[in-house]
Amino acid sequence: MYRMQDEVSLLRASLQGDTGAWGEIISRYKDAILGLCLGFMRNRADAEDVSHDAFIRAYVNLRRYDLERRFSTWLFTIAANLCRNKLRYRKNHPSTEQPLQIRGGIDPAKLVGAEDRQAKIRKVLAKMPYGYRAPLVLRFYNELPYQEISSILSIPEGTVKTRIHRGKAMLKDLFEEGA
Amino acid sequence: MKTDGLDKLLQDTLKAEVAASAERLSDMEKRVVMELGERCPRLRGFQWLGQLLAPTRGTRLGQIVVVGATAAIFLFVGLTLSDRVLPEGGAPQVSLQPLRSADGTQEVVFVWPAPLDAKTVAVVGNFNAWEGTDLSDPDGDGIWTTSIPLSPGRYEYAFIVDGRWQGHDPRADEVIQSFGEYSSVRYIGRGGDGV
Repeated sequence: MYRMQDEVSLLRASLQGDTGAWGEIISRYKDAILGLCLGFMRNRADAEDVSHDAFIRAYVNLRRYDLERRFSTWLFTIAANLCRNKLRYRKNHPSTEQPLQIRGGIDPAKLVGAEDRQAKIRKVLAKMPYGYRAPLVLRFYNELPYQEISSILSIPEGTVKTRIHRGKAMLKDLFEEGA
Repeated sequence: MKTDGLDKLLQDTLKAEVAASAERLSDMEKRVVMELGERCPRLRGFQWLGQLLAPTRGTRLGQIVVVGATAAIFLFVGLTLSDRVLPEGGAPQVSLQPLRSADGTQEVVFVWPAPLDAKTVAVVGNFNAWEGTDLSDPDGDGIWTTSIPLSPGRYEYAFIVDGRWQGHDPRADEVIQSFGEYSSVRYIGRGGDGV
């Protein structure tokens, strides 16, 4: 019954305590949020934890959300802030998890070329500073406009453009170097 | 959005990483909803007071004190600057309009716009020991109302519409979660405490 409802109706129902409606919101955004967290954090366990926490945090604070504003921006901002906090924590408490790898479900013979390139990109992303990686992820994975990225990361729009431009150049250089 | 090869590769890489978490993602809705239920047990009647004073609830007490103090300051400033206690905004769901009398007691009007086929609407709160005071809709327009005299203080409440808990009042001073559901909080008078 929730699948047919528009986002604002689901959010209004969620505000009334309807957790089923919130479940539908999660279904709609979980891929985008997990992709953002994976891109920001480069650690699967942390990214999964932060994605989960982002939906909890958003629901608990839903009353503060202004229905006139774009919900995705608000939700992405919560996730981005949680990622940043977790990364700060990880500086002092390093994770024992191996760097991101794709596990299972892939035919190695079929995907060997793409896999090589993706493995290389994963290494490049891990080497890039967070300040450049985060805008690139929001731009090219979440496909957000500069203005929205600026709002989510709390940096001026001009800085977003500069970082994306430099981030792309960095990505290219590191990729060609073989990371 | 125009993308070159590396942009697309970045996108595909992250999509593949997300796909690799499909199993973990599949029940995220269920896990989040379950955790929300566990985190926010509903506090019935005066149980909230016990929880508030329990030593293990230091953080919660601190938060409530800060929120309560902030609300009281805003209320005081608002009362000083204007004769209107709680100005009406645009939110259509619920309104609660205190009408003050000289001795501080206010005739507080509870309003709930219910579906036209609603049969019963009641308001429950710590002012009526969570027993329920019926609202009425004599003209059948779906707007159910009742008024309750309340002395200055802090009040938690929710509406019950045909047996269903409706705890989120967009105009409340606070909305708290307890036992998995929302309850609204309203401060009446200048003190904002002492119920």
